[in-house]
Amino acid sequence: MTSTPDDVLVVDHLVRRFGDFTAVDDVSFRIAPGETYGLLGPNGAGKTTAISVIAGLLKADGGSVTIAGETMRPDAVSVKRHIGLVPQDLALYPDLSARENLVFFAKLYGLRGKELASRVDEVLETIGLADRAKDLSKEYSGGMKRRLNIGVGLLHRPTLLILDEPTVGVDPQSRNSILEAVEALSGEGMAVLYTTHYMEEAERLCDRIGIIDTGQLRAEGTRDELIRLTGGTDTIRLGGRVDTTGQEEAARSMRTLHGVERVDADRHSLSLTVHDAPTLVAEVVRMAAEAGMKLTDVEISRPDLESVFLHVTGKALRD
Amino acid sequence: MSTLLTLVAQGLRQGLRDKTVILFGFVVPLVLMFVFNLVFGDTDEREFEPLTVAVGAQAGDQMVGVVTDVLGDLDSETLDVTVVEVDPDESRAMVADGDAGLAIVFPDNFGGAAQMGTPTTVDVRRGEDAGVEADVVLSVVDGILQQFGDAATTARAGLAEGLDAEQLAQVAQASVEGAGYAIEEGQADDQQLSAGGALVAGQAGLFLLFTVSFGVTALLVERENGTLARLRSLPLPAWQITTAKALVSFLTGMLSTGVLLTAGGFLFGASFGSLIPVALLVASVAAAATSVMFLIARVARTSEQAGVATSIVSIVLGVGGGAFFPISAAGALAGVLDLNPVAALLRGLGITSAGGGVADIGVPVAIMLGFAVVMLLVSRLVPDRGAMA
Repeated sequence: MTSTPDDVLVVDHLVRRFGDFTAVDDVSFRIAPGETYGLLGPNGAGKTTAISVIAGLLKADGGSVTIAGETMRPDAVSVKRHIGLVPQDLALYPDLSARENLVFFAKLYGLRGKELASRVDEVLETIGLADRAKDLSKEYSGGMKRRLNIGVGLLHRPTLLILDEPTVGVDPQSRNSILEAVEALSGEGMAVLYTTHYMEEAERLCDRIGIIDTGQLRAEGTRDELIRLTGGTDTIRLGGRVDTTGQEEAARSMRTLHGVERVDADRHSLSLTVHDAPTLVAEVVRMAAEAGMKLTDVEISRPDLESVFLHVTGKALRD
Repeated sequence: MSTLLTLVAQGLRQGLRDKTVILFGFVVPLVLMFVFNLVFGDTDEREFEPLTVAVGAQAGDQMVGVVTDVLGDLDSETLDVTVVEVDPDESRAMVADGDAGLAIVFPDNFGGAAQMGTPTTVDVRRGEDAGVEADVVLSVVDGILQQFGDAATTARAGLAEGLDAEQLAQVAQASVEGAGYAIEEGQADDQQLSAGGALVAGQAGLFLLFTVSFGVTALLVERENGTLARLRSLPLPAWQITTAKALVSFLTGMLSTGVLLTAGGFLFGASFGSLIPVALLVASVAAAATSVMFLIARVARTSEQAGVATSIVSIVLGVGGGAFFPISAAGALAGVLDLNPVAALLRGLGITSAGGGVADIGVPVAIMLGFAVVMLLVSRLVPDRGAMA
């Protein structure tokens, strides 16, 4: 792992054990300013334990966590000013309104007076709860509670925002709202550590992704870097009707295209294994038409993080 | 420090919004006090019935005169005694007719027999309706007769020693005059609470334990709700979180106990003495109760477990401390009971209600604060399975 002095978070050979069980096993990664880093792994992979150590809730049994140049420990105080934690479980006071929850936590972050009032108003706008600010949080929907849960972590404009599975149990509309909020924060330059077991969230939000399983970081990189680990080939499937001669002619001409590795034919379709399917699909369709194929459908399949996870761990992400 | 105040303010606000705290801290104890006072609370207010005592004796007997004079002196605001001197037969008839509650019939030459120490019998007749008032009068008469016997014995001893007649007369007279009786109103023990006061103080002490538990077990609730993890991720020392809960418990306990003592005292006519020593006692017992709850928060895994443990501890300490009725024991057990903070509170309030000040309540205050220190030390030593883990 290469880190730079500007890195917001440096996790170096982190180890955390519970008795004989090693929940986090020699995990290292870093996050640069403005970068969104995703920890992708199934339930029980060690994501929440890793985050608990990073946020200073648990002591590390080995390795270190450095945030904005300061070492994180459970008893450290000043380094915690750099982080905003959004825990997986809702961490709100149900008998307080959204505004009261935010004001309470803002005071604990050291905000006072006009700064506190204006920051609370800003956060209420950001999470879309300004019009329900006076309602008790226990009266909110699950999605609204999730948004308020995130809002608490934003109050002091942290250098590093840590989101632990923030969309678990949320309806699609609220989920999209949360993802948009995270994208906006990242766009403002905030470093984000985002854990999830939803690959589509990781693909949408994260600049870099760490694949974690059984406490170990199995692979790390950008989406494309991870895809390349699988061999990086796409599939184009052409469905339709054609006679045998035409099909053989089409397959022969397609194999001459740069980027096509293999062409398989069956009675009603052609299946091409290619590099970078989007740039080839138009030419492939033209060749099929010239060979007399009457196309009924064209389907492009690209490898995703699910494929990557399967490739590096030997099991499916949802297992 | 401002973050500590923020945490305390938040805890108090939560407590005041929690209907359970209001219910157990204020409503239930007041209702119980009212119910118990209806059942037991009139023991201090017993009034004696008027009693007519018919004294039957030979006219002119000076020793009988001494007895009637003493009985006449019993008549006061507390005991309404009327003594009538009649002949023996009439005195018995008065009791039989219900005109007197008690007849005391002295034999002829009672005075001479008393002076000589000669055995003699005094006939007593009780009316059907004679109550405890007659018992009081009889116990006084018994005492006088005992004095007469002592005087006769003293005189005989003097005679044996060769005293002259004048000296013997002085000795005998001194013995008889020493038999004077007087009744003064007062409490049997000037450091005991009245029945109503004990009831109010006992219930306040018992429910204090329930009230303070809400602040400390809030740590467990916060862990279950996830807010404890969030608080620990904030830039504030971990001790402030625990200290804030302790302060919330302590302040809630003081408020609850103060309100209960004030309201209970007003409703049931109990006075606990000067404000400052009473406040010191309340603060001490609140500290002791809070320390117990820290031990519970340390060993209970869930808020439900903490609730059950709180109920058990509260009932044991409350009953053992005399919250419902006085508890007495001997030997080592008595020593253990004395170390109960609820018992110490009741003892301290007994002292302050009798006019004691801060200097007089050192022992109960020391017991309660000592209890708090021991509980805190124990809570640091036991393995942490609960909110602070």
